[in-house]
Amino acid sequence: MSQVMIETEGLCKHWGGLKALDDISLTFADKELHSIVGPNGAGKSTLLNLLCGTYKPTSGRILHKNEPIDSIKPYAFARRGIGRSFQKTNIYPSATCLENCAIAAQRYMGGSFNFLKPRNKEPVLLHIAEEALHKVGLGHRKDTVAAAVSYGEQRQLEIAMVLATSPCVLLLDEPMAGMGHEESALIIELLKQLKKEYCIVLVEHDMDAVFELSDLITVMVNGQHLVTGTVDAVREDPRVKEAYLGQGDEVY
Amino acid sequence: MTTSLFFIQLINGLQYGLLLFLIASGLTLVFGVMGILNLAHGSMYMVGAYLAWYFFTHTDSFLLSAIISAVIALSIGILVERTLIRQLYHRNHLDQVLLTIGMIFVFNALQSLLWGNDPQGIKVPDLLSGSIPLTDTLSYPVYRIFVAVICILLAAALYYTINKTRLGMLIRAGESNREMVECLGINISRLYTIVFAIGVMLAAIAGVLSAPMVSIVPGMGEHVLIACFVVVVIGGMGSIKGAFVAALLVGIVDTFAAVLLPSIASMVVYILMALILLVKPKGLFSN
Amino acid sequence: MLFQKRSERLFIWIFFPLMLMMPLFLDGNIFYINKLSSILIFALFVMSLDYLVGRCGLITLGHAMFYGLGGYIFYIIAPQNEAVNFWVYTFYICVISAAIALIVGFLVLRTSGIYMIMITLAIAQMFFYYFSDSMEFGGIDGVFLYLKPETSFLGIKMFDLDNPTHFYYLCLFSLFNTLVFFKVIMASKFGRVVDATRENPERTTALGYNVFVFRLASYVIASALGAYAGYLFSMQYGFVNPSMLSWQTSGTALVMLILGGMGSIYGAILGTFAYEGLHYFFEHLTEHWMLFMGSAIILMVILLKKGIAGYIEKLLEKRS
Repeated sequence: MSQVMIETEGLCKHWGGLKALDDISLTFADKELHSIVGPNGAGKSTLLNLLCGTYKPTSGRILHKNEPIDSIKPYAFARRGIGRSFQKTNIYPSATCLENCAIAAQRYMGGSFNFLKPRNKEPVLLHIAEEALHKVGLGHRKDTVAAAVSYGEQRQLEIAMVLATSPCVLLLDEPMAGMGHEESALIIELLKQLKKEYCIVLVEHDMDAVFELSDLITVMVNGQHLVTGTVDAVREDPRVKEAYLGQGDEVY
Repeated sequence: MTTSLFFIQLINGLQYGLLLFLIASGLTLVFGVMGILNLAHGSMYMVGAYLAWYFFTHTDSFLLSAIISAVIALSIGILVERTLIRQLYHRNHLDQVLLTIGMIFVFNALQSLLWGNDPQGIKVPDLLSGSIPLTDTLSYPVYRIFVAVICILLAAALYYTINKTRLGMLIRAGESNREMVECLGINISRLYTIVFAIGVMLAAIAGVLSAPMVSIVPGMGEHVLIACFVVVVIGGMGSIKGAFVAALLVGIVDTFAAVLLPSIASMVVYILMALILLVKPKGLFSN
Repeated sequence: MLFQKRSERLFIWIFFPLMLMMPLFLDGNIFYINKLSSILIFALFVMSLDYLVGRCGLITLGHAMFYGLGGYIFYIIAPQNEAVNFWVYTFYICVISAAIALIVGFLVLRTSGIYMIMITLAIAQMFFYYFSDSMEFGGIDGVFLYLKPETSFLGIKMFDLDNPTHFYYLCLFSLFNTLVFFKVIMASKFGRVVDATRENPERTTALGYNVFVFRLASYVIASALGAYAGYLFSMQYGFVNPSMLSWQTSGTALVMLILGGMGSIYGAILGTFAYEGLHYFFEHLTEHWMLFMGSAIILMVILLKKGIAGYIEKLLEKRS
């Protein structure tokens, strides 16, 4: 197994009396795609929000490259190269697609306190932004205002923005939510390419996609860790079937 | 400071705080339920004071003029909500600020048009004009105690309405989740009108009660508005309980500051607010 | 190009040459020249507010605090009986007000939305009461500044501030520079992040930006320029009083801003002139001008959602 990028140790998140996440210990390795699945309310999104610093854990630790990061500020997570995409499309609608990625790239490139340098006169930065767009297949849309592109393209842009920050870890929150079959296929192809370069944590409801893409799958139920294993191991695991079927819930 | 003087200042502070609560409760209620920041709320206080003065000079009965003023204020509230505030429900904060600033202009102009710009005053009603002796040299005016009692009664009525009645249930539901109330098929527009009109009426009643204690001048509403802002911010926006605690706190601090720290008296409550916000950016009783 | 929109370029090409020639038309009519100067000063103030409200999305109802502070700081630090250098004191005033803005901003920017509106208002009121209660600063009547600064720079005397026409040109010069200054900032890499924090602060944090720091920087810049406007105002008539930092001043500036069109920067000039024009018109119509002004504001909010600048842009878009 390759180098461990992110590790959680006994991670808990409580909302008042509700245990949204209970004692989760997982490792996420570089150049692997690790999916988190489970029925609604299993705590998948909560876990993702903890990993990117949006929420602070009630207890437990998060390690990035063996350094604890659970007490750093939310914005510092991105600076360490932990980038996330959002379940609900979360972009800058009035800016062009290129500008959306340029905002992301500039964080990495620096110079954000340069009051004089015109933002559109920096070839390197714009190149990185454009490259990110090309990677997700949005190169032809670079001068279109983000609000004007299709929903599927906005989802692609969402990923391009994360890529433009030059991350080492990608936390993807349902990148295929609300997409049609063809659009999903595009994203699946994209993720296959990306997992060669990055450590990817994927939360996704589309089980076909998960089975096709994952190196490892973690199943969660009611905020608790049920099982982690390869695709085949999880597919055969009786506890997983029970967890889904027992709740009268369909396998998504 | 002697014990009796301390005692008098304490009552003064409580009485001022209760009056502030009466005005601030409307402000915070309208914000909590409707999401509207009404800068013209202080104007209603001014209108209440002027109405009380106008009717008192014509009827010579404080009670009668108080009732007429409250009814007129209620009607103004309904009218304003139906015509103007309604435009704001799906607008941003800035539009709310501007429209209500426009309303302040209009109310100020109407006040100067109808009643002129000279300071006015009314005398304390005969029945309440006495004083209660505290020591040989100090006494406390009955009217101020009367005001405090009325404020407590109104606060209790407000508490009862919000916690025990169907209307109160809707108000509480509206505070926690506006969309849900709309989805339940409740006539939200009527609820808004009622809440806004009640808020306006409470502010006007505070104006009526203050009329015999202060001089009735143009701009009196704006001064009070700022004090109420401090109360609402300290208490936590939308929280009636917070407004009550904060109003008493502000009333007492302000009163004692005037005696103990006269040089910076008018700043003390703002400093208090800044300190509280440093610790709790959303006020004492925010969720 | 710095001025991207056609309407903007059109406006600048008409407005500034016209204003440059204005003293010739007015033929030394001191009353109108002074009136125009004070409108230009206020437009500068509104411009700084537009940067904060329209560009950074930070709604404040206490911006006048810095307008007043500009005047009071000048009174406090300048010696009474000696003409000081204008440029040196411009620097002092901007730095001191920036330091105050840094502290105030630290408190204020912890909140947002409606809380920020109320807190900015309350803090501005605190300064208002401080100056209006203080004997040292003449209470509600304010204080007089008897000497106007001299404006020599590297030995060259540029403006004679006792001369209203000279003062007028100083105001116009300042307004133009402020406009260019804001435009440069907005087009810069810093401006890119500011736009991002306004449009989607959550995402901007997720991308690794410390949103608070960018807001604070913007707040400090806008406040320092607001103070500069107040400094100019206090110099024009030679007095400072608490009404400069009253909430009415902040409110009026906001109204002008909306009237002109938010976020466009040049709209601040349009809005200030439009408001002052309306004010002048209603004032000569009736002593109850506030009734008309208030109604006009209400109608404007309900009907004219993007201000005059937005309206012009729409017209030009239709034509092209």
